[in-house]
Amino acid sequence: MTRIYINEWPQNSPPDQAKKDNVLLVAKLMVNGALTAPFTGGVPGVEAEIVYGQTEQEKIAREMERLAHQEVPKKLKKPFLYEAAMVRESDAIVFLGNFRARFSPMDAGCGLCGGEPDCSFYYERVPHFNGVPDHTDRKRNTAIQGPLCMLRAHDLAYAVGSALWLASTHFVDAKPCYSVGLAGRNLDICMNSEVVIGILMGVASKNPYADIPNEYHLTNMTQMVDALRKIATVTRQVPNHPYTFFDPTRKTGEQEKED
Amino acid sequence: MAIYDGLKAANEHMLEVAKACAVSAAKAPTLTGQLDLKMEILTGEDLEPMIQVLETLGKTSAFQLHDATAFRTYKNEEVLPPVLLLGADLTKPPLWNCGACGFPTCGEYLKYVSKNKGVGIGAYGPSCLWKVIDLGIAGDYACAAAAQNRAEARILFSLGAVSMFLGRLEGCSFVLGLPIGPVGQYRWFDRLPWTKVINYEQRVMTQMAGAPNVFMAFSGGGRPILKTKPRWWEKPTFMKVEQDPAFEEAMANGQAEAYEKIMQFAGVLDFDE
Repeated sequence: MTRIYINEWPQNSPPDQAKKDNVLLVAKLMVNGALTAPFTGGVPGVEAEIVYGQTEQEKIAREMERLAHQEVPKKLKKPFLYEAAMVRESDAIVFLGNFRARFSPMDAGCGLCGGEPDCSFYYERVPHFNGVPDHTDRKRNTAIQGPLCMLRAHDLAYAVGSALWLASTHFVDAKPCYSVGLAGRNLDICMNSEVVIGILMGVASKNPYADIPNEYHLTNMTQMVDALRKIATVTRQVPNHPYTFFDPTRKTGEQEKED
Repeated sequence: MAIYDGLKAANEHMLEVAKACAVSAAKAPTLTGQLDLKMEILTGEDLEPMIQVLETLGKTSAFQLHDATAFRTYKNEEVLPPVLLLGADLTKPPLWNCGACGFPTCGEYLKYVSKNKGVGIGAYGPSCLWKVIDLGIAGDYACAAAAQNRAEARILFSLGAVSMFLGRLEGCSFVLGLPIGPVGQYRWFDRLPWTKVINYEQRVMTQMAGAPNVFMAFSGGGRPILKTKPRWWEKPTFMKVEQDPAFEEAMANGQAEAYEKIMQFAGVLDFDE
């Protein structure tokens, strides 16, 4: 007989790990959903990568915090920091990228990228040889190097949508993030894609991605628990006593009489 | 008490499924939280202008003809499905300065859009990547809801585009069309109505045009034979790259005709003009 005990607390304990294993199953199913989502012309263009485990997630969170403090515009600083905290509280992350958006456009003249009927907006701004984009030129002047084929980027959304749909079907809370995707891409997750979206997955009594209080990167539960450990450790050293023969809750004299 | 014709009732139910798809799209998670999704459900005669414009465009473009043929056939069979339109203005960035549009900042992008907003065969642009993705997630959620209801559906660029050009979902820069139904199997893939539209030779030509290398003989001589027939080495055929002014003119005329149709439906031009 096998018994699997599951409890979301304490974080990263064996009972929590057993729960994370369940989430990993859903993460894999989400990739199925992502790969079979409707795409323009049915053309494959999506790659996926699952990041799972305390150390791996910590690396993503740290890159997000670096981006928050050093690179992204001011209005994204807090969202990036808060989502880094969410990365640490997640059970797994599914990354989805479109490896065609930057260097393998649809060439349909749809107008999304530049409002032109002939793809000229893209080809006037991307290095190419007779319409074959130079995918070896990977230099970036911005967080994401544009322009992109927006139809291909639109495809990525269907992959993300189907993955999210599968998560919610399995009652796993999920949140798609620019921050997580960008950090992952910088660390070579889905490395063939210029645009990557990171989907956080969490199973907990409280959806870890909703109801966010002030300064969440400093006030989340991990921070609170750590503060408690710090204070509890110091506090116990003040009312200390030789408990084997002394009980401070009883009055002096009473103790000897009763014993 | 009443007895319903099962297939008829099922096709009528597609409107309810379309509403469920709209509920789902509205609930779709987004990255920006600022998509401002707009939706409409078109049914019956309200789809006629869209089908006619698709038919006009279909004279010079297979993929629009493919969809026009399906819609026309389903209308003739009295099983024309409701179409959920999903659209948004994708030219309003969330000011993240990510660079994906090709401009260094959202400010530069907006400056360009204010002067150079234009239109391609199906959408206005340039678009903000994150809005493009948000609309896609909404479109996907609508598709997933249709799939969960076991309804035939296919998200269409073509019908969304002509609906937008015909004035539906005002203010949107990109519109998707999702027909829901008719009930059955493979109504939008492996389409039965399409079997009568192009013949065997045209199918072979389309395959060859799509992947000439597959049908190519030894290329080392510099002028490879294209295998266009079983005894391809006899009276060989070669591929020739050339400009085609006649086709270009036909394309331009087709688009002008489609534009004229749109103006007629908009009441700007009379139908006999």
